[in-house]
Amino acid sequence: MIFDFWGSHVTVPSDIISAWILTIILAPIVLFWISKKKKWPLVREYMITTNHRKIGTMYILFGVLFFIRGGIDALLIRTQLAVPENDFWVFQNDKYNELFSTHGTVMIFFVAMPLLIGLMNVVVPLQIGARDLAFPYLNAVSFWMFLAGALVFNLSFFMNSAPNAGWTAYAPLSTDTYTPSAGNDYYIFGIQISGLGTIFTAINMIVTIFRHRAPGMKLTIMPLFSWSTLITSFLILVAFPVLSIALFLLMFDRMFGTGFFHGGVGSPIYWQHLFWIFGHPEVYIIALPAFGIFSEVISTFSRKRIFGYPAMVLSLALIGFMGFMVWSHHMFTVGLGPLANTFFAITTMLIAVPTGIKIFNWLFTMKGGVISFTTPMLFALGFIPTFVMGGVTGVMLSAAPADFQFHDTYFVVAHLHYVIIGATILGVFAGIYYWYPKMTGKQLNEKLGKWHFWIFIIGFHMTFLPMHFAGLQGMPRRVYTYQLGEGLFEFNLISTIGAFLMGSSMLFLALNLYKTHKHSPNVGNDPWDGRTLEWTVSSPSPEQPFKKMPYVSELDAYWYAKLENEDLSEANDTRPAPVSIKTIQPVILSGLLFAMSISFIYQWVWLMIITGLAVLSIFPIRSLTSRNEYVEKRVKHE
Amino acid sequence: MLDVRIEKLEKAVCFMKKLVSLLLIFLPLLSGCQLRALNPNSERASDQTFLIWFSFGLMMIVLSVVFFLFVRFVSKYKQTEMNKNDIPRDVKGNKKLEITWTTLSMLLLVILAVPTVAITMESSPELAETSLENTSALHINVTARQYSWSFQYQNGKTSENQLILPKDKEIVLHLKSDDVIHSFWVPELSGKQDVLPGKEIILEFKADQVGTFLGKCAEFCGVNHTNMTFETKVITQNKYAEWVLE
Repeated sequence: MIFDFWGSHVTVPSDIISAWILTIILAPIVLFWISKKKKWPLVREYMITTNHRKIGTMYILFGVLFFIRGGIDALLIRTQLAVPENDFWVFQNDKYNELFSTHGTVMIFFVAMPLLIGLMNVVVPLQIGARDLAFPYLNAVSFWMFLAGALVFNLSFFMNSAPNAGWTAYAPLSTDTYTPSAGNDYYIFGIQISGLGTIFTAINMIVTIFRHRAPGMKLTIMPLFSWSTLITSFLILVAFPVLSIALFLLMFDRMFGTGFFHGGVGSPIYWQHLFWIFGHPEVYIIALPAFGIFSEVISTFSRKRIFGYPAMVLSLALIGFMGFMVWSHHMFTVGLGPLANTFFAITTMLIAVPTGIKIFNWLFTMKGGVISFTTPMLFALGFIPTFVMGGVTGVMLSAAPADFQFHDTYFVVAHLHYVIIGATILGVFAGIYYWYPKMTGKQLNEKLGKWHFWIFIIGFHMTFLPMHFAGLQGMPRRVYTYQLGEGLFEFNLISTIGAFLMGSSMLFLALNLYKTHKHSPNVGNDPWDGRTLEWTVSSPSPEQPFKKMPYVSELDAYWYAKLENEDLSEANDTRPAPVSIKTIQPVILSGLLFAMSISFIYQWVWLMIITGLAVLSIFPIRSLTSRNEYVEKRVKHE
Repeated sequence: MLDVRIEKLEKAVCFMKKLVSLLLIFLPLLSGCQLRALNPNSERASDQTFLIWFSFGLMMIVLSVVFFLFVRFVSKYKQTEMNKNDIPRDVKGNKKLEITWTTLSMLLLVILAVPTVAITMESSPELAETSLENTSALHINVTARQYSWSFQYQNGKTSENQLILPKDKEIVLHLKSDDVIHSFWVPELSGKQDVLPGKEIILEFKADQVGTFLGKCAEFCGVNHTNMTFETKVITQNKYAEWVLE
């Protein structure tokens, strides 16, 4: 559609108009609903909170929201690809490029990351006997920066300039010479701001786990989800700054005329190196926490302690460490030469060993146990075959010459979805069903949960299994159509049907949430007969848990105490607890960062100056108004 | 009567067979032998196809072991009315078992690594500066640009979006890009090789059968990336000699 806009003609595609109309209709309805239900105080409470459970819940809430957005992108992609030479709505050429670019970016940065960080936020402090994260204020800053970044990114679509260079944003395509529209600036700022938030979270988690474990809980008996969080946090601490730097360089290339990634001195290959030095560890950043969740779930619902705990911890660490030595397997076709290709092929194969060890340990945890097929356990059981299938294609991809064929085809698309959905998404679902009582006090409906699982997993395999064959039949990634005679039609049609099946499974989750909150009563502390400390506190977890600090002397101490019909022994030397405060500063800070991003994207110099100064002024304000109530109380007391 | 029944039974069995094969084997087998990346027409592509099948075979061993254990443990140890109040015996681990599967998986990877290293060392394309000049071969300059391919032959003849190659002759492609990164891909003849701006990369192969093969740009390169395809025709050396002088 063409509009007259202050004298200039502006063409706006119909998908964007529909999105605006939908938003304009939905926004008042939501606002009215909040007012009618008198929920504004609740909204305010969450905006000023620094409590880990509330922040974790918000992470998960927005993660699910963006999951829906990314999922709709996926369904649009599959619709366009359903039949050969299709012309679905507007999604050809650049519109299609925008679709897959946003789908990838949203799913990695604004779905996988917040969902996992949300679960870490809710669970890790409770699991290790901490009363909150070490830096509650910083935690709020992290969350609001994630949200600001996500909003910047999502705004791009409404402004008709969604990023269009792929989620990997390879230079020189992503430089201003070839993609001059604002799209990739949105990409840069959206990820930059939320990425900073992620780095803060990593610091927060590391300090919490090192400094705030319950008395007696040595690292050698810490639950595996907390271990996976610790190792993931170290990966974030190393990998995300690399991404930050790459984004800064790309921003300078795009906005200030530098030539890091193109021209005589620069090289587009530098971007690929930087991106994948971040990007490959990122794969493990979103996989390891899921491994942690599965370890907890499989152990709980087999009623057995995890098999080979030391090997489980060691393999987590090994995967994390080796994850930094394999990045160039994304670049086998660049032409780095025989030596580089051989080196990265070998390291990539090696990483399969610790992963295989984990799989066998999970299997042998179940051996001899009593396995109950609850919803979280079903997701964990679905994970094992699915992830192994993704793992073996991963090993196939590591053989560099074979990758000359696989690279950038639907074979890789199939592989990456098998590992990322197989681990991260199934893990997040398992985690949400498992820890839902700790977040809200209610247990999700088991029957609907099982429907959700089965439809999701069947739809998943139907979508992604045929993609292996489509890739081998010569279908590259990131193409919006194919010809009838290419032998790709059947594969794509099956994928599309599977994708809609998978999408429809989310309706069962929605129905489940609705029914649970409408009808179900609150459950007690320990609805699943759990093994770790989070099941000793009430559901939902209180703002000041562990009034009596337990003493932890072994792995799964709570489970063994229950077996002996005893309470956990009480510790008398407790560490000072971090104190939650109420503050609106993080919201203001991220609001300013949002405005600053927009001013940079559209080069509004006056707004850059104002917002820049405002952001800087938050620092002295925070320093001067910071209240450490714990210290104050103690000073008074003395 | 009996005959009719047997006939019906046979029909039913036949139908079931068809259904099962349709469900299970349809995807890989019906098109399996024809899948383009598994249908090599050059030694280079043959090596790659070999590695694909070889790694696939090894990985199927892993997959079947895991699936077997998975199905067995899940069915054998599921909760029933009988055992629902049991507390299973704790097993902390088993050193021997753990060492066994670690060693076996390493061994499997070594078996895969040997041909991988051999083929990788031999067939990884290099920058023009570092690769040795092959004088007996046929050299063709390949230039990729948004969104077309042009090929320049030794006598200066050029063709657009159509690559003509003689059969059984060493081909050396000199890949260059005018703008962004593209990737040269003809599944039957060679794997992918990225085409970079400001660099020249050497890709060598020898087509051993005549035929026409669809080539594609395999690195996302912008608005019209999907349509950046080209046709590769492998013809006999005599025909090539005629064509190149036309």
